[in-house]
Amino acid sequence: MGFTKSIFKTFVFGTALLSVSSAFAAEFHGRSSTQYLWFNNILNDQKQAEFAQHLSFSLTDIDPNKKLSLFGYGRISQDVMNGEGFDSRLFYFYADYRDLFDKIDIKAGRQFVNYAAGSALIDGGMIDLKNIGPIAFSVMGGRNVFYGIDRELTHAGDAVFGAAASLTGYPATDAEISYFMKLDRDGIAREQIGAMFKQYLFGGLKLYGNTRYDLAGETFEELLAGVKYFASTNLLLSAEWYQSYPTFDYTSIFSVFAVNRYQEGSFRADYTINDMFAVRGAYKWQDFGDNSEGHVFEAGVKIRPITPLMIDLAYDRRQGYAGDLDGFTADIQYDATPNLQLAGGAAYDVYQRESMTGNVDAQTYWLGARYKINKTMSFDCRVQDALDIGHFKQDWSGRVAFNYDF
Amino acid sequence: MKKVFFIFVLLIYGLLIVSHQSSAERMSHKEYAKLDLKDCNECHKAQGIPLTHDNDWAGKHHQNTDWLGDHRVSAGKGGTNCSDCHAQSFCSECHFGGGVDVELRKLSYKRNYMPKNHRTDFISIHPIKAKDNPQTCTRCHTQKFCSDCHSKFSGSDLKFKSHRRQFSDLPQNVAGSSHNGYSSKDCQMCHPNGLLTKHEWSADHAIEARRNLQSCQVCHSDGKTCLTCHSSKSGLRVSPHPRNWASISGNFKSRSNGKTCAICHN
Repeated sequence: MGFTKSIFKTFVFGTALLSVSSAFAAEFHGRSSTQYLWFNNILNDQKQAEFAQHLSFSLTDIDPNKKLSLFGYGRISQDVMNGEGFDSRLFYFYADYRDLFDKIDIKAGRQFVNYAAGSALIDGGMIDLKNIGPIAFSVMGGRNVFYGIDRELTHAGDAVFGAAASLTGYPATDAEISYFMKLDRDGIAREQIGAMFKQYLFGGLKLYGNTRYDLAGETFEELLAGVKYFASTNLLLSAEWYQSYPTFDYTSIFSVFAVNRYQEGSFRADYTINDMFAVRGAYKWQDFGDNSEGHVFEAGVKIRPITPLMIDLAYDRRQGYAGDLDGFTADIQYDATPNLQLAGGAAYDVYQRESMTGNVDAQTYWLGARYKINKTMSFDCRVQDALDIGHFKQDWSGRVAFNYDF
Repeated sequence: MKKVFFIFVLLIYGLLIVSHQSSAERMSHKEYAKLDLKDCNECHKAQGIPLTHDNDWAGKHHQNTDWLGDHRVSAGKGGTNCSDCHAQSFCSECHFGGGVDVELRKLSYKRNYMPKNHRTDFISIHPIKAKDNPQTCTRCHTQKFCSDCHSKFSGSDLKFKSHRRQFSDLPQNVAGSSHNGYSSKDCQMCHPNGLLTKHEWSADHAIEARRNLQSCQVCHSDGKTCLTCHSSKSGLRVSPHPRNWASISGNFKSRSNGKTCAICHN
């Protein structure tokens, strides 16, 4: 935690310094969002209210060759009602140096890294090697940062490393093979090989897939294969087959237990009828092993009767192993003026978690508004009431935000 | 499985060879970053260039159900150009929390915004969602996130209001009263074939555990409960290992420096 606080202080002071130095040729942009939030804390059944300050920024073109950039996003908050006190979180803060010798990109600092073999938030670095032919290479590594409900759970020894080789220079084809390793204080917790592939064919067909292979378990942790067919400019048909195998950190006793493979097949159609209507429908079949199945259906429509008004209605139904869920959502968004956006919505669910219990329903209603004062400043307000949530008959929550874009 | 993997890799490169390729670099989209998605169609649909974002890609993975994982493919290392238009905060808002720049329709809990599939009473619904695809939760939450929350709802602490909903607060039917007035000895009256109420845990729990072992872990994170019967040092000494354990056990031993094995074996 001390390490995170140090980084956060660097982030705050660095940002302040950079604000002053933005008089140089560098481009400094971002958003400051000052928010007041209120909600019921389910962990202690108390009402909670807090102020939060978000700051995201990009500082680009720092050097004369415009190769060095700095990116950051962090948040501080102070509870003023429930005694939780001060909280801070640094989502990322990294320097990005591109095109060293026209071949190397370097990112250093807290950042989100994503390979087909694994992804993580790290305090570390990533180096990409490019422009050396049809294959590009990447390596990354650093301290593995992860969070619980309210706090960072990283301990000494938590780290990740990875490497990737990817195809480059082919507009219709993407491919990657990568390696990902996670360590904790007891040893190697994960070791995976990943692959990703995407291919456009014949102008209207997309094939794609990805996989993660667990080296210790010698099994595919995930395997996805999909196809999309752009039948016309208005009709998209999609089909996927996916399977996964639950895996656990090798340092956990659960990693040595036998588990079932999960697999699913899905089909989806998206059709834009005209400028006013777009519809979608989907079905998913699920197999949990041991003769347990599930079925998921979804249907939805987007309606835009007039240009500034958009209505999105969706219904979905799930039946089978693990419980039933039947619900719909309705969202409406109306651009009343170029500067004022009004929105509202509702969600209603009926669910049955276990066969030994009856149906339970839950409802949510919300209203929101966004007002642009000028090109750089805006207000957001969102209020939500949820009925029969947990043991709350009424669960009010909301947020008010003042945003400043620079 | 190794064969399947190599077939998959061969398939990738086979398609590469047979498909007609252009050597041109993928163009930068930075100058189009501020466009509305619908305006992308002016180039893409009109000129037959496939859209990475499909018809409604931006909203797809925030819909009510978890459809289609193709954005993971697009966000991979190979050929990705996400950063032309999106800062990392765009990823962070969903994967790590945040809330500096999201739409009005986004839900939130505490300071963090949530994907739309966390709708209504997600505290109660999430066991259903979590079983849909065992990997869905771990894209944003580590397994320690689950344990961190569940540890606050100890099974022996049923006086905790939120956790009481597991049983005693659940209604008997839509209009009925809750289970609050019943004790465990009354279960058989109404649920003669229920799994837990028949106390057939030893016979049936293996099926449940194989299907969704993560559920066991969130409350028994150290696995001590399992070791009552599955340790080789004491108890019933029932082996929990998969069928191919003999060929893979060394993989776990070497990576964990033998610590995982030592939990159950001398």
